[in-house]
Amino acid sequence: MADETHAPQHASSQHSSFSGGRPPGGGGGGAGSRPPGPRRGKRNYVRKKKVCRFCVDKVDLIDYKKPEILQSFVQERGKILPRRMTGTCARHQRWLTIAIKRAQNIALLAFASEL
Amino acid sequence: MEERLYDLIFICRPDTPETEIDKLIATLQHAVEEKQAKVEKVEKWGLRRLAYRVKKLREGFYVYMVLRSSHGELLKELERRLRVTDSVVKYLTVRLDEEIKRQEKLSKRREKRNARRPRKTAAAVPGAEQAATANG
Repeated sequence: MADETHAPQHASSQHSSFSGGRPPGGGGGGAGSRPPGPRRGKRNYVRKKKVCRFCVDKVDLIDYKKPEILQSFVQERGKILPRRMTGTCARHQRWLTIAIKRAQNIALLAFASEL
Repeated sequence: MEERLYDLIFICRPDTPETEIDKLIATLQHAVEEKQAKVEKVEKWGLRRLAYRVKKLREGFYVYMVLRSSHGELLKELERRLRVTDSVVKYLTVRLDEEIKRQEKLSKRREKRNARRPRKTAAAVPGAEQAATANG
């Protein structure tokens, strides 16, 4: 959950007024849009929409020989992070898992961290 | 049979002298050429920390090769050789041509789309639409 950014409520109303004058509380249109209704205290956040890093960088081939890149999609103990955590698109996640597994096989990336 | 592209990575013990590694690379290259295949690239990555212990080692000397071959048995033979060599602790061969093909296809498509896009944005600006059609 490290790269989920929570913005406080006032930021959300700013955002919605910016994107075409929708009533506040209508949801930022992001991944975590909530049903419209009255605001309830401080518990409302707008989740920043996560975008696939590989799509932004226009990657057509995920290189298994670069563990520095793969490392950021792996948990500390070596688990591959799910899409919902990283925002990677389905296609790139598919390539990413293959790349990670190859890197693990040649000891560029750990299967599980050693204690 | 069509030609295929392979990645071959192997890890040597850190205490093997470099001359021995060079010798090993040379023998592999020789075996590749015997089968009318090509060695596209040889890279010595040098000593690197292993992500986990392999045969009680924490470091290894990485060698990376790119091969172009139309004989699948060649890879079998190379892997057999690496397996018998005592100084090699780990190896990996990956077939890459299909992925490269896919990458090229996607890159081409992106280029095409990018070539088309500037005209579209120019047309979105009022007044510029007619100019764009006049140019086209």
